[in-house]
Amino acid sequence: MNALLALLLFPGGLFVMLNGLAYEWVDRKLVARMQNRLGPRWFQPLADVAKLLGKEEIVPRGADARWFNGLPIVALAAVLTAALYVPLLGILPSVGFAGDLIVTIYLLSVLTLCLALAGSLTSDRFGLLGATRTLTQLFSYEAPFLLALLGPAVVAGSWQIGTILNYASGQWLIVTQPIGFFIAVIGLMGKLELPPFDAPEAHTEIVAGALTEYSGRGLALFRLAKNVALVVGLTLIAGFYLGGIANAFEFVGKTLALLGVIVVLQVLFARLRIDQLVGMWWRVGALLALAQWLLLIGWKLWSAN
Amino acid sequence: MIKLEQAWHDALRQIKTWAQINSPWAIHFNSGSCNGCDIEILATLTPRYDLERFGIKLQGSPRHADILICTGPVTRQARERLRRVYEQMPEPKFVIAVGSCAISGGAFQGCYNIVGHIDQVIPVDVYVLGCPPRPEAIIDGVVKLLQKLELSKDERQRAKTNE
Ligand code: SF4
Repeated sequence: MNALLALLLFPGGLFVMLNGLAYEWVDRKLVARMQNRLGPRWFQPLADVAKLLGKEEIVPRGADARWFNGLPIVALAAVLTAALYVPLLGILPSVGFAGDLIVTIYLLSVLTLCLALAGSLTSDRFGLLGATRTLTQLFSYEAPFLLALLGPAVVAGSWQIGTILNYASGQWLIVTQPIGFFIAVIGLMGKLELPPFDAPEAHTEIVAGALTEYSGRGLALFRLAKNVALVVGLTLIAGFYLGGIANAFEFVGKTLALLGVIVVLQVLFARLRIDQLVGMWWRVGALLALAQWLLLIGWKLWSAN
Repeated sequence: MIKLEQAWHDALRQIKTWAQINSPWAIHFNSGSCNGCDIEILATLTPRYDLERFGIKLQGSPRHADILICTGPVTRQARERLRRVYEQMPEPKFVIAVGSCAISGGAFQGCYNIVGHIDQVIPVDVYVLGCPPRPEAIIDGVVKLLQKLELSKDERQRAKTNE
Protein backbone atom coordinates (compact mmCIF):
# COMPACT_ATOMS: atom_id res chain seq x y z
CA MET A 1 0.00 0.00 0.00
CA ASN A 2 2.75 2.39 0.98
CA ALA A 3 4.76 1.40 -2.03
CA LEU A 4 1.78 2.05 -4.27
CA LEU A 5 1.33 5.49 -2.75
CA ALA A 6 5.01 6.19 -3.24
CA LEU A 7 4.77 5.20 -6.89
CA LEU A 8 1.56 7.05 -7.69
CA LEU A 9 1.64 10.13 -5.50
CA PHE A 10 4.62 11.41 -3.68
CA PRO A 11 8.06 10.81 -4.99
CA GLY A 12 6.91 8.83 -7.99
CA GLY A 13 4.00 9.95 -10.09
CA LEU A 14 1.74 12.89 -9.62
CA PHE A 15 4.03 15.05 -7.52
CA VAL A 16 7.00 15.10 -9.90
CA MET A 17 4.76 15.62 -12.90
CA LEU A 18 3.03 18.62 -11.32
CA ASN A 19 6.37 19.86 -10.09
CA GLY A 20 7.76 19.52 -13.60
CA LEU A 21 4.84 21.42 -15.10
CA ALA A 22 5.27 24.18 -12.52
CA TYR A 23 8.98 24.42 -13.33
CA GLU A 24 8.23 24.57 -17.02
CA TRP A 25 5.98 27.53 -16.29
CA VAL A 26 8.70 29.24 -14.24
CA ASP A 27 11.12 28.64 -17.09
CA ARG A 28 8.82 30.03 -19.77
CA LYS A 29 7.68 32.96 -17.65
CA LEU A 30 11.22 34.02 -16.77
CA VAL A 31 12.33 33.74 -20.39
CA ALA A 32 9.34 35.84 -21.41
CA ARG A 33 10.06 38.48 -18.79
CA MET A 34 13.67 38.70 -19.91
CA GLN A 35 12.51 39.17 -23.49
CA ASN A 36 10.25 41.99 -22.30
CA ARG A 37 7.05 39.98 -22.73
CA LEU A 38 4.30 39.15 -20.29
CA GLY A 39 4.65 35.42 -20.62
CA PRO A 40 2.22 32.54 -20.17
CA ARG A 41 -0.33 32.20 -17.40
CA TRP A 42 0.43 29.92 -14.49
CA PHE A 43 -1.69 27.01 -15.72
CA GLN A 44 -0.32 27.12 -19.26
CA PRO A 45 1.77 23.90 -19.21
CA LEU A 46 -1.14 22.05 -17.61
CA ALA A 47 -3.53 23.28 -20.30
CA ASP A 48 -1.04 22.31 -23.01
CA VAL A 49 -0.70 18.77 -21.71
CA ALA A 50 -4.45 18.37 -21.14
CA LYS A 51 -5.17 19.58 -24.65
CA LEU A 52 -2.61 17.28 -26.20
CA LEU A 53 -4.03 14.33 -24.28
CA GLY A 54 -7.45 15.07 -25.74
CA LYS A 55 -6.28 15.29 -29.34
CA GLU A 56 -6.33 12.78 -32.11
CA GLU A 57 -3.25 10.58 -32.26
CA ILE A 58 -2.11 10.03 -35.81
CA VAL A 59 0.21 7.12 -36.50
CA PRO A 60 1.98 7.92 -39.75
CA ARG A 61 1.99 5.34 -42.50
CA GLY A 62 5.09 3.16 -42.40
CA ALA A 63 5.62 3.50 -38.67
CA ASP A 64 5.08 0.54 -36.37
CA ALA A 65 2.11 1.52 -34.22
CA ARG A 66 3.28 -0.47 -31.20
CA TRP A 67 6.67 1.24 -31.12
CA PHE A 68 5.19 4.59 -32.00
CA ASN A 69 2.77 4.47 -29.07
CA GLY A 70 5.06 2.62 -26.71
CA LEU A 71 8.15 4.82 -26.83
CA PRO A 72 6.64 7.86 -25.07
CA ILE A 73 5.39 5.59 -22.30
CA VAL A 74 8.82 4.03 -21.86
CA ALA A 75 10.42 7.47 -21.79
CA LEU A 76 8.05 8.78 -19.13
CA ALA A 77 8.37 5.59 -17.09
CA ALA A 78 12.16 5.81 -17.17
CA VAL A 79 12.34 9.37 -15.87
CA LEU A 80 9.67 8.65 -13.27
CA THR A 81 11.79 5.76 -12.05
CA ALA A 82 14.78 8.06 -11.91
CA ALA A 83 12.72 10.41 -9.73
CA LEU A 84 12.48 7.68 -7.10
CA TYR A 85 16.22 7.90 -6.38
CA VAL A 86 16.61 11.65 -5.91
CA PRO A 87 15.78 13.62 -2.74
CA LEU A 88 12.64 15.42 -3.86
CA LEU A 89 11.48 17.96 -1.27
CA GLY A 90 14.57 17.08 0.74
CA ILE A 91 13.30 13.64 1.71
CA LEU A 92 16.07 11.13 1.23
CA PRO A 93 15.16 8.39 -1.21
CA SER A 94 14.15 5.20 0.55
CA VAL A 95 15.03 2.84 -2.27
CA GLY A 96 18.67 3.82 -2.73
CA PHE A 97 21.40 1.25 -3.28
CA ALA A 98 25.11 1.40 -3.96
CA GLY A 99 25.54 2.74 -7.47
CA ASP A 100 22.11 4.28 -7.89
CA LEU A 101 23.74 7.49 -9.18
CA ILE A 102 24.80 5.68 -12.35
CA VAL A 103 21.36 4.12 -12.71
CA THR A 104 19.67 7.49 -12.35
CA ILE A 105 21.88 9.13 -14.96
CA TYR A 106 21.26 6.32 -17.40
CA LEU A 107 17.54 6.34 -16.77
CA LEU A 108 17.65 9.99 -17.78
CA SER A 109 19.47 8.96 -20.95
CA VAL A 110 16.71 6.48 -21.75
CA LEU A 111 14.51 9.52 -22.37
CA THR A 112 16.94 10.80 -25.01
CA LEU A 113 17.27 7.36 -26.58
CA CYS A 114 13.49 7.05 -26.78
CA LEU A 115 13.33 10.46 -28.44
CA ALA A 116 15.89 9.43 -31.03
CA LEU A 117 14.15 6.10 -31.67
CA ALA A 118 10.82 7.89 -32.01
CA GLY A 119 12.34 10.20 -34.59
CA SER A 120 13.90 7.43 -36.62
CA LEU A 121 10.74 5.34 -36.53
CA THR A 122 9.03 7.36 -39.23
CA SER A 123 10.27 7.87 -42.75
CA ASP A 124 9.80 11.59 -42.23
CA ARG A 125 13.05 13.37 -43.07
CA PHE A 126 12.71 15.97 -40.32
CA GLY A 127 12.18 13.29 -37.71
CA LEU A 128 15.19 11.41 -39.04
CA LEU A 129 17.40 14.49 -39.00
CA GLY A 130 16.21 15.30 -35.51
CA ALA A 131 16.99 11.76 -34.41
CA THR A 132 20.55 11.85 -35.73
CA ARG A 133 21.12 15.22 -34.13
CA THR A 134 19.66 14.00 -30.83
CA LEU A 135 22.02 11.03 -30.84
CA THR A 136 25.02 13.14 -31.85
CA GLN A 137 24.28 15.50 -29.02
CA LEU A 138 23.78 12.60 -26.62
CA PHE A 139 27.22 11.24 -27.44
CA SER A 140 28.81 14.62 -26.98
CA TYR A 141 27.41 15.77 -23.66
CA GLU A 142 26.94 12.42 -21.97
CA ALA A 143 30.57 11.81 -21.00
CA PRO A 144 31.28 15.30 -19.58
CA PHE A 145 27.94 15.30 -17.78
CA LEU A 146 28.67 11.95 -16.19
CA LEU A 147 32.18 13.05 -15.21
CA ALA A 148 30.80 16.24 -13.73
CA LEU A 149 28.32 14.34 -11.56
CA LEU A 150 30.97 11.81 -10.59
CA GLY A 151 33.15 14.57 -9.12
CA PRO A 152 31.16 14.78 -5.88
CA ALA A 153 30.91 10.99 -5.89
CA VAL A 154 34.71 10.72 -5.91
CA VAL A 155 35.24 13.06 -2.98
CA ALA A 156 32.41 11.42 -1.05
CA GLY A 157 33.85 8.00 -1.81
CA SER A 158 30.51 6.51 -2.75
CA TRP A 159 28.30 6.07 -5.77
CA GLN A 160 25.12 6.17 -3.75
CA ILE A 161 23.10 9.36 -4.00
CA GLY A 162 22.12 9.34 -0.33
CA THR A 163 25.72 9.06 0.88
CA ILE A 164 26.95 11.76 -1.47
CA LEU A 165 24.19 14.07 -0.30
CA ASN A 166 25.13 13.46 3.32
CA TYR A 167 28.69 14.33 2.47
CA ALA A 168 27.72 17.36 0.41
CA SER A 169 25.32 18.91 2.89
CA GLY A 170 26.99 21.63 4.90
CA GLN A 171 29.76 22.22 2.39
CA TRP A 172 29.19 23.82 -0.94
CA LEU A 173 31.06 21.70 -3.46
CA ILE A 174 30.56 24.43 -6.05
CA VAL A 175 33.41 26.28 -4.30
CA THR A 176 35.88 23.43 -4.63
CA GLN A 177 34.61 22.07 -7.96
CA PRO A 178 33.38 25.05 -9.96
CA ILE A 179 34.18 23.42 -13.29
CA GLY A 180 32.15 20.35 -12.43
CA PHE A 181 29.17 22.48 -11.44
CA PHE A 182 29.31 24.49 -14.61
CA ILE A 183 29.59 21.45 -16.83
CA ALA A 184 26.79 19.69 -14.99
CA VAL A 185 24.43 22.64 -15.50
CA ILE A 186 25.29 22.94 -19.18
CA GLY A 187 25.05 19.18 -19.58
CA LEU A 188 21.56 19.27 -18.14
CA MET A 189 20.63 21.95 -20.64
CA GLY A 190 22.00 19.78 -23.41
CA LYS A 191 20.04 16.83 -22.14
CA LEU A 192 16.79 18.77 -22.15
CA GLU A 193 17.58 20.41 -25.51
CA LEU A 194 17.13 23.90 -24.09
CA PRO A 195 17.94 26.89 -26.31
CA PRO A 196 21.63 27.15 -26.94
CA PHE A 197 21.63 23.37 -27.40
CA ASP A 198 18.32 22.98 -29.21
CA ALA A 199 19.78 22.00 -32.58
CA PRO A 200 17.99 18.60 -32.36
CA GLU A 201 14.60 20.28 -32.43
CA ALA A 202 15.48 23.51 -34.17
CA HIS A 203 12.10 24.92 -35.11
CA THR A 204 13.43 27.10 -37.86
CA GLU A 205 15.32 24.34 -39.66
CA ILE A 206 13.90 20.90 -39.05
CA VAL A 207 10.32 21.67 -37.92
CA ALA A 208 10.28 19.93 -34.55
CA GLY A 209 13.05 17.38 -34.84
CA ALA A 210 12.37 13.90 -33.60
CA LEU A 211 8.88 14.76 -32.40
CA THR A 212 7.66 16.13 -35.74
CA GLU A 213 5.23 13.27 -36.36
CA TYR A 214 3.79 13.07 -32.85
CA SER A 215 0.44 14.72 -32.44
CA GLY A 216 -1.60 13.88 -29.36
CA ARG A 217 -0.81 11.68 -26.42
CA GLY A 218 2.74 10.84 -27.51
CA LEU A 219 3.72 14.49 -27.61
CA ALA A 220 2.11 15.13 -24.23
CA LEU A 221 3.97 12.22 -22.64
CA PHE A 222 7.30 13.30 -24.12
CA ARG A 223 6.77 16.82 -22.82
CA LEU A 224 5.92 15.49 -19.38
CA ALA A 225 8.98 13.27 -19.47
CA LYS A 226 11.20 16.23 -20.27
CA ASN A 227 9.68 18.21 -17.43
CA VAL A 228 10.26 15.39 -14.97
CA ALA A 229 13.83 15.04 -16.23
CA LEU A 230 14.28 18.77 -15.58
CA VAL A 231 13.19 18.34 -11.95
CA VAL A 232 15.37 15.27 -11.43
CA GLY A 233 18.42 16.92 -12.97
CA LEU A 234 17.97 20.15 -11.03
CA THR A 235 17.57 18.22 -7.79
CA LEU A 236 20.70 16.17 -8.43
CA ILE A 237 22.87 19.17 -9.26
CA ALA A 238 21.47 21.33 -6.45
CA GLY A 239 21.95 18.51 -3.97
CA PHE A 240 25.50 17.73 -5.05
CA TYR A 241 26.94 21.15 -5.64
CA LEU A 242 24.84 23.61 -3.66
CA GLY A 243 25.28 22.18 -0.20
CA GLY A 244 22.73 19.38 -0.10
CA ILE A 245 18.98 19.46 0.22
CA ALA A 246 17.85 19.17 3.82
CA ASN A 247 14.19 20.23 3.66
CA ALA A 248 11.43 21.38 1.36
CA PHE A 249 12.43 25.05 1.55
CA GLU A 250 15.98 24.30 0.53
CA PHE A 251 14.67 22.10 -2.27
CA VAL A 252 12.45 24.81 -3.72
CA GLY A 253 14.95 27.62 -3.17
CA LYS A 254 18.00 25.88 -4.54
CA THR A 255 16.37 24.25 -7.54
CA LEU A 256 14.63 27.50 -8.48
CA ALA A 257 17.88 29.41 -8.18
CA LEU A 258 19.52 26.87 -10.46
CA LEU A 259 16.60 27.15 -12.87
CA GLY A 260 17.17 30.90 -12.88
CA VAL A 261 20.78 30.36 -13.97
CA ILE A 262 19.61 28.06 -16.75
CA VAL A 263 17.05 30.63 -17.92
CA VAL A 264 19.67 33.35 -18.11
CA LEU A 265 21.93 31.10 -20.17
CA GLN A 266 18.99 30.26 -22.44
CA VAL A 267 18.20 33.89 -23.11
CA LEU A 268 21.80 35.00 -23.50
CA PHE A 269 22.98 32.56 -26.15
CA ALA A 270 21.81 31.80 -29.65
CA ARG A 271 21.56 28.28 -30.96
CA LEU A 272 24.83 26.48 -31.65
CA ARG A 273 25.33 24.38 -34.74
CA ILE A 274 25.58 20.66 -34.14
CA ASP A 275 29.26 20.50 -35.17
CA GLN A 276 30.09 23.42 -32.89
CA LEU A 277 28.33 21.56 -30.10
CA VAL A 278 30.29 18.37 -30.52
CA GLY A 279 33.54 20.27 -30.79
CA MET A 280 32.80 22.31 -27.72
CA TRP A 281 31.81 19.35 -25.57
CA TRP A 282 34.72 17.13 -26.47
CA ARG A 283 37.48 19.73 -26.79
CA VAL A 284 36.54 21.89 -23.83
CA GLY A 285 33.92 20.21 -21.70
CA ALA A 286 35.23 16.68 -21.51
CA LEU A 287 38.85 17.77 -21.10
CA LEU A 288 38.08 20.19 -18.30
CA ALA A 289 35.87 17.67 -16.52
CA LEU A 290 38.54 15.01 -16.87
CA ALA A 291 41.25 17.34 -15.60
CA GLN A 292 39.21 18.20 -12.55
CA TRP A 293 38.41 14.56 -12.00
CA LEU A 294 42.07 13.58 -12.05
CA LEU A 295 42.86 16.44 -9.70
CA LEU A 296 40.21 15.22 -7.29
CA ILE A 297 41.52 11.68 -7.38
CA GLY A 298 45.06 12.97 -6.83
CA TRP A 299 43.91 15.04 -3.88
CA LYS A 300 42.06 12.07 -2.48
CA LEU A 301 45.12 9.81 -2.70
CA TRP A 302 47.37 12.51 -1.30
CA SER A 303 45.12 13.22 1.67
CA ALA A 304 44.73 9.52 2.34
CA ASN A 305 48.50 9.12 2.75
CA MET B 1 -24.37 4.15 -12.35
CA ILE B 2 -25.32 5.61 -15.71
CA LYS B 3 -25.59 9.02 -14.08
CA LEU B 4 -22.09 8.70 -12.67
CA GLU B 5 -20.73 7.79 -16.06
CA GLN B 6 -22.55 10.74 -17.59
CA ALA B 7 -21.08 13.10 -15.00
CA TRP B 8 -17.63 11.69 -15.65
CA HIS B 9 -17.99 12.21 -19.38
CA ASP B 10 -19.26 15.74 -18.88
CA ALA B 11 -16.35 16.57 -16.63
CA LEU B 12 -13.89 15.16 -19.14
CA ARG B 13 -15.44 17.14 -21.94
CA GLN B 14 -15.35 20.31 -19.89
CA ILE B 15 -11.67 19.81 -19.16
CA LYS B 16 -11.06 19.18 -22.84
CA THR B 17 -12.81 22.36 -23.92
CA TRP B 18 -11.05 24.37 -21.24
CA ALA B 19 -7.69 23.06 -22.38
CA GLN B 20 -8.52 23.68 -26.02
CA ILE B 21 -9.48 27.27 -25.34
CA ASN B 22 -6.42 27.93 -23.24
CA SER B 23 -3.78 26.36 -25.40
CA PRO B 24 -4.33 27.00 -29.10
CA TRP B 25 -1.20 26.23 -31.07
CA ALA B 26 -1.02 27.68 -34.52
CA ILE B 27 0.69 26.96 -37.79
CA HIS B 28 1.01 29.51 -40.52
CA PHE B 29 0.70 28.69 -44.20
CA ASN B 30 1.07 31.01 -47.15
CA SER B 31 -0.69 29.72 -50.23
CA GLY B 32 0.19 32.58 -52.51
CA SER B 33 -0.09 35.82 -50.59
CA CYS B 34 1.93 38.92 -51.42
CA ASN B 35 3.68 38.56 -48.03
CA GLY B 36 1.95 41.60 -46.58
CA CYS B 37 -0.29 39.43 -44.45
CA ASP B 38 2.59 37.18 -43.41
CA ILE B 39 4.57 40.12 -42.13
CA GLU B 40 1.60 41.19 -40.06
CA ILE B 41 1.26 37.69 -38.63
CA LEU B 42 4.92 37.71 -37.68
CA ALA B 43 4.42 41.12 -36.09
CA THR B 44 1.60 39.58 -34.08
CA LEU B 45 4.00 37.05 -32.65
CA THR B 46 6.61 39.58 -31.58
CA PRO B 47 7.05 40.60 -27.92
CA ARG B 48 4.99 43.74 -28.46
CA TYR B 49 1.77 41.74 -28.76
CA ASP B 50 3.07 38.60 -27.02
CA LEU B 51 0.54 35.92 -27.88
CA GLU B 52 2.08 33.51 -25.39
CA ARG B 53 0.06 35.16 -22.65
CA PHE B 54 -3.03 33.58 -24.23
CA GLY B 55 -1.19 30.31 -24.65
CA ILE B 56 -0.90 30.77 -28.41
CA LYS B 57 2.28 29.30 -29.80
CA LEU B 58 3.53 29.07 -33.34
CA GLN B 59 4.41 25.50 -34.22
CA GLY B 60 6.45 24.27 -37.12
CA SER B 61 4.80 20.91 -37.54
CA PRO B 62 1.16 20.58 -38.67
CA ARG B 63 0.92 17.57 -36.37
CA HIS B 64 1.32 19.81 -33.33
CA ALA B 65 -1.07 22.56 -34.41
CA ASP B 66 -4.72 23.22 -33.65
CA ILE B 67 -5.21 26.33 -35.75
CA LEU B 68 -4.17 26.78 -39.37
CA ILE B 69 -3.63 30.45 -40.14
CA CYS B 70 -3.89 30.88 -43.91
CA THR B 71 -2.92 33.89 -45.93
CA GLY B 72 -3.36 34.77 -49.55
CA PRO B 73 -5.36 33.33 -52.41
CA VAL B 74 -4.82 29.69 -53.32
CA THR B 75 -2.66 29.24 -56.37
CA ARG B 76 -2.94 26.15 -58.49
CA GLN B 77 0.40 24.90 -57.21
CA ALA B 78 -0.35 25.55 -53.55
CA ARG B 79 -3.78 23.89 -53.57
CA GLU B 80 -2.52 20.37 -52.99
CA ARG B 81 -0.05 21.54 -50.33
CA LEU B 82 -2.71 23.49 -48.49
CA ARG B 83 -5.01 20.50 -48.47
CA ARG B 84 -2.20 18.23 -47.35
CA VAL B 85 -1.17 20.53 -44.50
CA TYR B 86 -4.79 20.65 -43.41
CA GLU B 87 -5.13 16.89 -43.52
CA GLN B 88 -1.93 16.39 -41.56
CA MET B 89 -3.35 18.25 -38.60
CA PRO B 90 -4.96 16.13 -35.89
CA GLU B 91 -8.58 16.68 -34.86
CA PRO B 92 -9.94 19.00 -33.50
CA LYS B 93 -8.60 21.58 -35.94
CA PHE B 94 -9.64 25.05 -37.01
CA VAL B 95 -8.78 27.40 -39.85
CA ILE B 96 -8.44 31.16 -39.83
CA ALA B 97 -8.28 32.97 -43.17
CA VAL B 98 -6.30 36.19 -42.85
CA GLY B 99 -6.55 39.02 -45.38
CA SER B 100 -8.84 39.96 -48.22
CA CYS B 101 -7.10 37.62 -50.63
CA ALA B 102 -7.71 34.65 -48.39
CA ILE B 103 -11.37 35.58 -48.15
CA SER B 104 -12.22 36.40 -51.74
CA GLY B 105 -9.12 36.26 -53.86
CA GLY B 106 -8.74 40.00 -53.41
CA ALA B 107 -6.22 41.66 -55.65
CA PHE B 108 -5.46 38.38 -57.37
CA GLN B 109 -9.05 37.63 -58.35
CA GLY B 110 -9.31 36.28 -61.86
CA CYS B 111 -5.61 35.64 -62.31
CA TYR B 112 -4.79 32.70 -64.58
CA ASN B 113 -2.86 30.87 -61.86
CA ILE B 114 -5.38 31.23 -59.04
CA VAL B 115 -7.83 28.58 -57.90
CA GLY B 116 -9.74 30.97 -55.68
CA HIS B 117 -10.07 31.70 -52.00
CA ILE B 118 -9.27 29.50 -49.05
CA ASP B 119 -12.74 28.14 -48.40
CA GLN B 120 -12.93 26.70 -51.87
CA VAL B 121 -10.22 24.28 -50.77
CA ILE B 122 -10.61 23.73 -47.03
CA PRO B 123 -13.34 24.72 -44.54
CA VAL B 124 -12.69 28.03 -42.78
CA ASP B 125 -13.89 28.91 -39.26
CA VAL B 126 -12.95 32.58 -38.93
CA TYR B 127 -12.30 35.30 -41.52
CA VAL B 128 -10.11 38.30 -40.71
CA LEU B 129 -10.63 41.30 -42.99
CA GLY B 130 -7.99 43.76 -44.12
CA CYS B 131 -5.27 44.24 -46.66
CA PRO B 132 -3.28 43.41 -44.65
CA PRO B 133 -5.14 43.21 -41.34
CA ARG B 134 -3.45 44.77 -38.33
CA PRO B 135 -2.05 42.48 -35.63
CA GLU B 136 -4.92 43.56 -33.37
CA ALA B 137 -7.37 42.27 -35.95
CA ILE B 138 -5.55 38.94 -36.18
CA ILE B 139 -5.60 38.58 -32.39
CA ASP B 140 -9.30 39.46 -32.48
CA GLY B 141 -9.81 36.70 -35.03
CA VAL B 142 -8.16 34.14 -32.79
CA VAL B 143 -10.19 35.32 -29.79
CA LYS B 144 -13.39 35.06 -31.87
CA LEU B 145 -12.49 31.49 -32.70
CA LEU B 146 -11.94 30.69 -29.03
CA GLN B 147 -15.26 32.35 -28.20
CA LYS B 148 -16.88 30.14 -30.77
CA LEU B 149 -15.49 27.10 -29.01
CA GLU B 150 -16.81 28.33 -25.69
CA LEU B 151 -20.16 29.11 -27.27
CA SER B 152 -20.48 25.62 -28.61
CA LYS B 153 -19.86 24.43 -25.06
CA ASP B 154 -22.69 26.65 -23.78
CA GLU B 155 -24.98 25.43 -26.52
CA ARG B 156 -24.31 21.86 -25.53
CA GLN B 157 -25.24 22.68 -21.97
CA ARG B 158 -28.43 24.40 -23.06
CA ALA B 159 -29.34 21.43 -25.19
CA LYS B 160 -28.76 19.20 -22.20
CA THR B 161 -31.03 21.21 -19.89
CA ASN B 162 -33.72 21.19 -22.54
CA GLU B 163 -33.65 17.42 -22.75
S1 SF4 C 1 -4.78 40.78 -48.36
FE1 SF4 C 1 -3.41 42.38 -49.08
S2 SF4 C 1 -1.56 42.07 -47.89
FE2 SF4 C 1 -2.76 40.21 -47.71
S3 SF4 C 1 -1.99 38.88 -49.30
FE3 SF4 C 1 -3.73 40.00 -50.17
S4 SF4 C 1 -2.83 41.76 -51.16
FE4 SF4 C 1 -1.27 40.95 -49.79
